Amino acid sequence: MTDTMMQMTGLPFSDVVPGAVTEVTKNGIVVAADKLLPLAMHLRDREGYDYLSMVTSVDWPQYFEVVYYLYRVGAWHSAAAAASQEPLVLKVRLPDKARPELPSVCSIWPGADLQEREVYDMMGIRFTDHPNLRRILLWEGFQGWPLRKDFKEPYYEEDAKPFKSRHPDGKHAWAEDRVPWKDNVTYPVGWDPDLWTQPEVQYRKIMQVDGGGNGHSSEFKTERVLVNMGPQHPSTHGVFRMVIAVDGENVVGLEPEIGYLHRCHEKIGERNTYIMNIPFTDRLDYIASMSNNFGYVLAVEKLAGIQVPERAEYIRVIMAELTRIISHFIAVGFLFNDLGAYFTPALYGLRERELILDLFEAAAGSRMMCNYMRFGGVFADLPEGWVERAKDLVWNRLPRVMEDFEKLLAGNEIFETRCRGLGVLTAEEAIAYSMAGPMLRASGVPYDLRKARPYSIYDRFDFDICTRPEGDVWARFRVRMDEIYQSIRILKQALDGLPAGPIMPPGKKQYQLRVPAGEAYGAVEGPKGELGFYIVSDGKPNPYRYHVRAPTFINLTSLEKMCIGHKIADSVVILGAIDIVLGEVDR
Amino acid sequence: MEQLFFILLALLTLSAALMVVTTRNLLHAAFWLILVFFGIAGFFILLHAEFLAVVQVLIYIGAISTLIIFAIMLTRRIMDPQQPRFNSQWGLVGGLAALLFVVLAAVTTRVAWPTTSATLPAEPIKQLGADFVGVYAVPFEVASVLLVVAMIGAIIIARERG
Amino acid sequence: MEYISNFFVNLGNSWTSLLSSFLPPWAVILINFIIVALLLVLMPVIATMTLTIMERKIIARIQNRIGPNRVGPWGIFQAIPDAIKLLTKEDIVPVNADKPLFNLAPLLIFLGAALLWAVIPFGRGVIGQDLNVGVLYLVAVGSISTIAIVMAGWSSNNKFALIGAFRIVAQLLSYEIPMVLAMASVVALVGTMKMGEIVELQSIPFLLILPVAFITYILAAAAETGRAPFDLVEADSEIVAGYFIEYSGLKFGWFYIAEYGNLLAVSAIAATLFLGGWRGPFADQAPVLGPLYFGIKTILIVFLLMWIRGTWPRFRIDQMLALAWKVLVPLGLFNLLWVATMIKLPLPVWLQWAFILAGNVLALLVTLTLMGQAAKRYAARRGMVGTRA
Repeated sequence: MTDTMMQMTGLPFSDVVPGAVTEVTKNGIVVAADKLLPLAMHLRDREGYDYLSMVTSVDWPQYFEVVYYLYRVGAWHSAAAAASQEPLVLKVRLPDKARPELPSVCSIWPGADLQEREVYDMMGIRFTDHPNLRRILLWEGFQGWPLRKDFKEPYYEEDAKPFKSRHPDGKHAWAEDRVPWKDNVTYPVGWDPDLWTQPEVQYRKIMQVDGGGNGHSSEFKTERVLVNMGPQHPSTHGVFRMVIAVDGENVVGLEPEIGYLHRCHEKIGERNTYIMNIPFTDRLDYIASMSNNFGYVLAVEKLAGIQVPERAEYIRVIMAELTRIISHFIAVGFLFNDLGAYFTPALYGLRERELILDLFEAAAGSRMMCNYMRFGGVFADLPEGWVERAKDLVWNRLPRVMEDFEKLLAGNEIFETRCRGLGVLTAEEAIAYSMAGPMLRASGVPYDLRKARPYSIYDRFDFDICTRPEGDVWARFRVRMDEIYQSIRILKQALDGLPAGPIMPPGKKQYQLRVPAGEAYGAVEGPKGELGFYIVSDGKPNPYRYHVRAPTFINLTSLEKMCIGHKIADSVVILGAIDIVLGEVDR
Repeated sequence: MEQLFFILLALLTLSAALMVVTTRNLLHAAFWLILVFFGIAGFFILLHAEFLAVVQVLIYIGAISTLIIFAIMLTRRIMDPQQPRFNSQWGLVGGLAALLFVVLAAVTTRVAWPTTSATLPAEPIKQLGADFVGVYAVPFEVASVLLVVAMIGAIIIARERG
Repeated sequence: MEYISNFFVNLGNSWTSLLSSFLPPWAVILINFIIVALLLVLMPVIATMTLTIMERKIIARIQNRIGPNRVGPWGIFQAIPDAIKLLTKEDIVPVNADKPLFNLAPLLIFLGAALLWAVIPFGRGVIGQDLNVGVLYLVAVGSISTIAIVMAGWSSNNKFALIGAFRIVAQLLSYEIPMVLAMASVVALVGTMKMGEIVELQSIPFLLILPVAFITYILAAAAETGRAPFDLVEADSEIVAGYFIEYSGLKFGWFYIAEYGNLLAVSAIAATLFLGGWRGPFADQAPVLGPLYFGIKTILIVFLLMWIRGTWPRFRIDQMLALAWKVLVPLGLFNLLWVATMIKLPLPVWLQWAFILAGNVLALLVTLTLMGQAAKRYAARRGMVGTRA
């Protein structure tokens, strides 16, 4: 569609929103900042780009570039939309590097909320009309914008690894001593440290929840209490924190606070060479390290144009599907934990996970941080007997375990009463909030990257997309259970069809990959949703920009929407059903 | 022996009651009130009315004071010790209380209370139950109606307005 | 042989005669009172030492684990190092806590747990004090722990603790009613509130006559003691530990002891009221068997409650209250009325009991049918798809 328009006018969409598109590049169309909103409105309402998958930004020497990835999700399986499943990439260039500003698209795609906050936090780009533009991963008292190229962190050494300065003249030197500002105690201008000592006041302002007196009834003034859940809380799945405003036991407001595990993964990624990033991706979603590897190597292979041998593709798919089974077992088990089932279902899930981790250990040498995939293939071939063990697991053990799970968990009455109708997201809302993975499919949107834009060799396998129409916590549980069956199905086909052959492309193994200048976005359907890696290269050994589209981070956007009106006890269940992993949320 | 227990219990109950009205912290007052109820339950035991003692604990401590505490916990402002202790009507109420005290004192000292030396019935609880549906049926039913009215009132207040 | 067959009573008698040989009677009574009181007060502690290891082992087996196995054979002495660890922990009092109440609450909750044991018959004649208001006494003493929990929750000055305290008030007040109704139907059946006499008159376990009352009692008891699936008061996944979140060291230990003491106590009450207490084969000939049977029955109920804890998720507060008020209370009321009517009919006792059983089973069936229909209506109203057949 865009092609025909381009031929007519030279620039796409110039007939509907004149002057919106200023340039068409190889990697997307460049949009004028002041015309972004009308164009976005048109794209969503007329062109069917209803899903904002990713918002990120790149710091170029002359300008900041904000990048939007748009999908057609609502009707992707219809004939017209299926023809162009490639994402539409919008780029807004902001030449005013002193005061970069552009309108927020939150009003059009609410899923942009947290992502725009992240862009603001990391690069200092202001989104006007954003409802809650605060720092998200870093705290309010942090000075500077870390992902800008001119940002020098405390203890800064060099721009790119490998560092040459570690042992000058064979002598040991403290990197800290060379830094002029040493530790970062400068506060931003206009930031009042005293305010930080009054979190209650702060959060009431942020969440627009006053002390009470405006309960549902005018005669009875009920007080609204702010309850702080986390970061030390057994059910927040890590160091997640949410501030909940409650009226009695009912949630009336919720503000997620993240960043306790923030390690500036993306900045580290820019310092590292390409291959050094693979073990770092393990640490994103530490339950599904194989999927993370997969997504990252896909992006780099796309950029560098590397062909992957057949056997390696099969091994990758096998590993990714085993990872999905692990992740879903844990998600389902710990969902019951959040419901108060005292660890039994979680431990049943963990038992099967151990068996799969044994397989990972045999293949990759490590159980959790596998670091298994390489550009062009995998790091080591499967050891002898591995396939037989995997087959035994897939054909004999897992189906029986699933039967147990169905009998013990799925039919539990208390579970059903607690989860039915809880945290409902309709299909439209799920798409608008950019939900991904099981969260999206549980709302009745049959969108799965493995089908929509098949990567690797997924187009060769026969499997179904699992959806449920309800959109509640129960549906999310059910979708995860069904996806385990589908993963078993894929695994059976992959293990049967596993060919012999090399696991890396021919030629000498190279550690310093030369990646041509350009940009690429590689995404896999991870266990928790679309896990994407956005890589910009300028031809150097290190990526110029490295961004992770973390599915659970973006899924958190709708947490408040889902929790309001339910009870405190339900909010942890709804959170558990998102299945967040803080390593990925905070990066 | 019994005299000694009575004096001890009376001291305990009275001092706890004094604390109820003098303490600034409303929640503490509620907890002192529980001690008063315990003291009264003790009196019932001294009077060989175990059933009443147990019911006293069950109803007054288990239910009523719990609800009082619950109500206090839910209303933060009343709990504030900085709130003024007196309001504009304190003189009137004080006068009425003094009057009540005089009346009660007069009644307790002037009236010749009937005493009986009859032994306790063998099954005091059965006797009590029979009296509730026999001699005292009307007061018993009136109390029930009162409770039903209170319950309906509570439902009407708490009901969500559409 | 005669001495052995009624060991506990005979032991008590010989002890008393031994004391009487050199002490005045009032001193003998005093000493015996103190000994019995100490034994009964120690019951929650004994319960904690044994039930913790039992629970950890049972739940470990349910979860495919081994459980504690380091201290002593099969890890049975695990509770001892745990207790030592608890005693050596720092005693922390939050700065903004209400100190007198904060310190009083653990003692009060332990008091509530210990007093329960006074009226529980371990065997024929082996009972602390067979009060003529025994059943009512149990309920009354149980309500003391409500006060203690509210005290702990409020004085900790912690929002989670306060939410826990709010929940406990709603929960305990609601479940006290079905519990009393279930106990009252037993009382109506036998016509006495003396725990000892209830056992004496239980020629067949009342579980077989009053199954509805038994189920109601077990559910209410699980709620009263804060056991799964009604453990909202200390829901670790929501409000972390609820009312005792701020307690540490020995003060936390008191709550822990009270929890397990209550667990054993409600199981003992259930065994007494519904399973025939110390009665069993040959218990009449050899009363020494009584405490043994009583212990076995109690442990069975404890196991049932632990089994539930190991397998079921938790109810939500509104669902739990709805279960109490909309299901258990009407059911209990019907049951009580039915029992009261039946025992007044001019029929032989066995026929009365048969009628009571029939009414119970019928009530159970009707309730379950109504609940199933309500669930279907709810699902239909909310437009839920995929309801299980």
